[in-house]
Amino acid sequence: MKFTSRIAQALVAGAAIAAASVCAQDIKIGYNADQSATAVADLGMAGRWGFEAAVEDINKSGGLLGRKLVGVIRDDLGSPPKSIQNMTELIDNEKVIAVIGPANSGNALAWLHIPQQQKIPVIVPIGTATEITLRYAKEPQNYLFRVSMVDREQVALLGAYAVKASKTGKIAIMADTTGYGQGGIKDATDILALHGVKPVAVEKFGPKDTDMTSQLTKIKAAGADVVIIYAIADGAAHTLRSMEKIDYMPIALGTWGNLSSVLPRIAGNKLADHLILAASTTEDSNPRAKSLGERVRKNYPTMTTFACAAQSYDSVMLLAAAIKLAGTTDGEKVAAALEQVKGVQGIIKTYDKPFSKTDHEGLSVSDFYLARWQGPNVVRFQDAVTKAFTPADFKK
Amino acid sequence: MKGRAHLVGVIAVAAAIALVPFVTSNAFYLKVLFLIGVNYLAASGLNVLVGHTGQKSLGHAGLFAVGAYTVALLTARAGWNPWLAFVAAGVMAAAFGVLIALPALRVKGPALAMVTIGFGIVVEKIVSEWQDVFAGQQGIYGVVPLAIGGVRFGPREWVWFTGALALAAHLMIRALLKGKYGRAFMAVNTAEVAAESVGISVYRFKVLAFVISAVTCGLAGALIAQQNQYISSEFITFGLSIFFLLIVLFGGSSVYGPLLGAIVLTLMDAFLARWPHIQHFTYGALLLFALYVMPEGLSGAIRSAARRLFPSLTRLPPLPAVAGEWRLSSAGEAPPAERLLLEARDLYKAYGGVVPINKVDLEIRTGHIHSLIGPNGAGKTTLLNMLSGIVPADRGSIRFGGKDIGRLAPNEISRLGVGRTFQNLKLFNAMSVLDNVKVGLHTRIDAGLWTCLWGLPASARQERKAGDEALRILAFLDLSEHALERADSLPYGLQRRLELARALATHPRLLLLDEPAAGLNPHETGDLIEVISRIRDLGVTVLLIEHHMDLVMAISDHVIVLDYGEKIAEGSPANVQTNPRVIAAYLGQEDDEDAEAGGDADRGALPAVDAGGGHRG
Amino acid sequence: MVAILQAVLSGLALGGVYALVALGFNITHSTTKTFNFGQGEFLVAGAFVAVSGLLLLAGKGITDPLNPDDVTLLRYAGSMVISMVVLGLLGVLLYYTAVRPFVGQAGLAWVMSTIGFGIIIQNVALAVWGPSAVVMPSPLGNDVIRVFGAGILPQEIMVLVASIAVMLCIDVVMRKTKIGKAVRAVAQSMDAATLMGINVSAIVVLAFVVSSSLAGLAGLLIAPITTASVYMGLTLALKAFSAAIVGGLNNPRGCMLGGFLLGLLEALVGLWHAELREISIFMLIILVLALKPEGLLGQRQVEKV
Repeated sequence: MKFTSRIAQALVAGAAIAAASVCAQDIKIGYNADQSATAVADLGMAGRWGFEAAVEDINKSGGLLGRKLVGVIRDDLGSPPKSIQNMTELIDNEKVIAVIGPANSGNALAWLHIPQQQKIPVIVPIGTATEITLRYAKEPQNYLFRVSMVDREQVALLGAYAVKASKTGKIAIMADTTGYGQGGIKDATDILALHGVKPVAVEKFGPKDTDMTSQLTKIKAAGADVVIIYAIADGAAHTLRSMEKIDYMPIALGTWGNLSSVLPRIAGNKLADHLILAASTTEDSNPRAKSLGERVRKNYPTMTTFACAAQSYDSVMLLAAAIKLAGTTDGEKVAAALEQVKGVQGIIKTYDKPFSKTDHEGLSVSDFYLARWQGPNVVRFQDAVTKAFTPADFKK
Repeated sequence: MKGRAHLVGVIAVAAAIALVPFVTSNAFYLKVLFLIGVNYLAASGLNVLVGHTGQKSLGHAGLFAVGAYTVALLTARAGWNPWLAFVAAGVMAAAFGVLIALPALRVKGPALAMVTIGFGIVVEKIVSEWQDVFAGQQGIYGVVPLAIGGVRFGPREWVWFTGALALAAHLMIRALLKGKYGRAFMAVNTAEVAAESVGISVYRFKVLAFVISAVTCGLAGALIAQQNQYISSEFITFGLSIFFLLIVLFGGSSVYGPLLGAIVLTLMDAFLARWPHIQHFTYGALLLFALYVMPEGLSGAIRSAARRLFPSLTRLPPLPAVAGEWRLSSAGEAPPAERLLLEARDLYKAYGGVVPINKVDLEIRTGHIHSLIGPNGAGKTTLLNMLSGIVPADRGSIRFGGKDIGRLAPNEISRLGVGRTFQNLKLFNAMSVLDNVKVGLHTRIDAGLWTCLWGLPASARQERKAGDEALRILAFLDLSEHALERADSLPYGLQRRLELARALATHPRLLLLDEPAAGLNPHETGDLIEVISRIRDLGVTVLLIEHHMDLVMAISDHVIVLDYGEKIAEGSPANVQTNPRVIAAYLGQEDDEDAEAGGDADRGALPAVDAGGGHRG
Repeated sequence: MVAILQAVLSGLALGGVYALVALGFNITHSTTKTFNFGQGEFLVAGAFVAVSGLLLLAGKGITDPLNPDDVTLLRYAGSMVISMVVLGLLGVLLYYTAVRPFVGQAGLAWVMSTIGFGIIIQNVALAVWGPSAVVMPSPLGNDVIRVFGAGILPQEIMVLVASIAVMLCIDVVMRKTKIGKAVRAVAQSMDAATLMGINVSAIVVLAFVVSSSLAGLAGLLIAPITTASVYMGLTLALKAFSAAIVGGLNNPRGCMLGGFLLGLLEALVGLWHAELREISIFMLIILVLALKPEGLLGQRQVEKV
């Protein structure tokens, strides 16, 4: 029975040691994402090494405010309770001044209120749920930023293509049952409504399912000639395989997650290039990207989704720029400074005032493009439809 | 002594819980303390179900979900007061506890595991698929946390509140398990049929155990949802069910087990998080080897270590001296002898083609010792099982004391005054001799659930009274010196006698004894004859199955002979002994053309010779 | 119509995998009253060992990506042997570390220990092969075969044929051969079997070897259809366990029947509402058990009083 009191003592002692061991000079930032427990772990791992590369680069060029930048890595196992616990630990125990993460949108939704209440800026490098940056948009200061694909943006792109490419006007949505897929259904339905189109079928599948023939049979029966697949690469690949199985090959549109090389590996090259996907960046888009890819592969040879590493890297760079601009690590000032930063050289692009009071998306529809897998590479996709796009088509 | 140590411990823990939030303001440490409290809460109830009642559930994440989603929906969607919603979460979880108990009651072992797993998965899938209501993986945001005077709980308040709740759960469950309820749960765990035979409704106690565990798990869920202000279907996983079960198994079934389990596993989870691989491996290794090294869980290991270090702990408390001879509760109003007590008409039971009981009539009269004899396979035990309600009759009626008992459950028949022992001993092995008898007194202890749960003085008073009476019963059967030994540590003969003591404790009007002398040596058999006579002298009517003819002939007033499920003779011992049909049945001179029906290898052996266990009944 | 045929074919293939794993549960449960709660992780291990086996046979490193040209029928058969042997050895290890200390004890200590063993296996797999799904091309290629308009993968046919063949083999061995009779004797009564001169401990170890190899085989068969992933084990093992319980854990044929039934049911419910698959399956299982606690083909265990 005296255990609890002993633990209390231990905790107090532990706190004292922890406080003493933190070098007052260091600036700590956290990285919290799934690195081992679900299919998204692959994205989380790529992001992690992008994060570490950025921290290394900043320290090489003299650190921040004359202090060393220290990255604190936590694995949230893709589970919201764990992710919440990690956030509390990072903020209250490790005393990080900002957090980069997570990979799963669902985990972000579980703890958005924590950094918001504690005034700790967060930049989301992977999770794409639209709500992440919107929930606190009306607060005096929104502490949630993102440098990643945004569901609403990629759907704007995919929706525009779907409406133009469909001959019958019959569009179907196929989504996994994760928070990602469910948010996607909502966004896609909304965007299609802006185009005056109502999906003829909305079907769901479990994140671990591998046979989607029954859902596709219904979509086929509904007569859709375009299917928007809202899932990460595994799910999209299995959907393509099931399409082949029931001999139904409509125009297939996929999300940003299909940048992962898991797609061609599971679906095979022939099926993979059938999918038209929304892309943010690829390894061969510029020399900086190429060199970052090589650096990440040294630590994580099986990397599949380079974009996560790049976005994570750029997130740290933007954060560093904001800290420099604010001249302090105070969360409130850094968040305000993030809305002011200019001319930050990243992997994907040079960020020129990427954020504003009302817009916390580092990347937007102009940074995204349609692409498809061709052999081992993702290439920009162009056809008559894309050439005819006008900015007015991207309704959102 | 023990009570005082416990009180000091409780006060120390309460003080620690009250003070810690002042010592540290580190919200992470406070969160970890909160989680320990939540996990303890969930495990403490589960321990009643798993550790004490023996129902292994692998689906309690489902009940956690019920609590969590109740507060989430009621506060975030329906705008309820958070306190009201918190209480509603407990109530709702209790209702679901009953729901899962119903199918779970019918199955045992792996099938029970399957039913509970199924329940957990169904709940998990419902909250993830029915998105209009439960919002799936996106989750319900804006769950209203508990608040006092409009001020929402912060990390400190959560620690205090959860700590208080955990302490309350500990005190209530401890009070409950100390008395008749604890014994009844253990009885259901070790021998369901025997529990029924002393008037414990297995059904009711299993449901109760499920409900207790459901309430604590539901409240744990509510706490998590309200503290996080968010709940999503991803919180509800099979892994969570396993985690709860692990806390209980790892901690051990003592009331302190869940506490130790919750502390160790929560701390491990929190402080190894930065090294996921180490965490997983430690976790795996712990599961793999913990019960090998500590068969009784962590609490059991600590207990035995403490006993080795401080041998004084093993000293048993002295028993109170009790005066006075034991008497039946109805001793003053003993019914006149020769009254019809039990009457069975036209009893019939068939298992496929085998008919162990075929149209048997039976009359048992008060004050007599009736013996039921017959060759092996004659249907004697089946008849006894029918009379005590274990085997329902296909046809026929049984009336006891003028009341139709043909369709009653064994525990109801026991409550009416039919006690019994078993051919294959069914003692509550892990309990002390004294506690075995106290289980027999179960229906005599009036304290209700609430009295026991709140540990009201009445329950302690009743408990003392029961203890005194149990000691008198043990004295009556010369078992006093063994009172504190474990039941299964007694020599075989004494175990038989203990079963008799347990049956007597129900204050039966009719006592059914299934081969009470089986396995006894001649000396012990002699003692048994004397004991049975004394029981008759108390005013208890006896019906016994026996193969020892000398015993039967020595004490019976009336003998009934069964063969191939039919009554072939009855009457005084002398009459029966000379009945040619009886002799034929025992010596096997009759045609054996229908031997298939109840044929047995040792048919025809003289009953006095084949004493011992292992007969078919 | 085509859709139903499609569902039946896929359901049977999946059911074959469930049946194999369920049979593994039956074999160890009938001999020791225990089974491996971490069987899903064994299945995962089976799949990954097979992938690495194929790579080795193709002369590559064990964690390289696997190309369709690397997988020939011969190599696939070879990797099957490797996988089943490795898993069989794992089964022996499992028995001695996680099961034997607890055999015959009341309580569920073995549940904890086998889950623990499974977690360790999963983490080794995670450390070696990483979190992302690994593709294992089918030796029969990926071209869809059309049967009355319904598409079926060659691998699905292979799964069905292989699982039925293995189960027939086991059924015959169990009923006709001396060793099968010994296994059944041990299942009836360990004491009596010992008295009859049967080496009970050898039979029990054999049971775990066979059970684990079956899990390995199941992993190897399903991997080309679903890809090999460290996380695929739990769901598959839970469904196989359900199949065993519904069919009757103490009856090998019941377990096989349960496996195919579950696979079919899953596919057919999927036709109607894919997201209701698990809900309806597990509700049905609860219902079946409430009405027939011993399972469809199980024998009722009567407690002697």
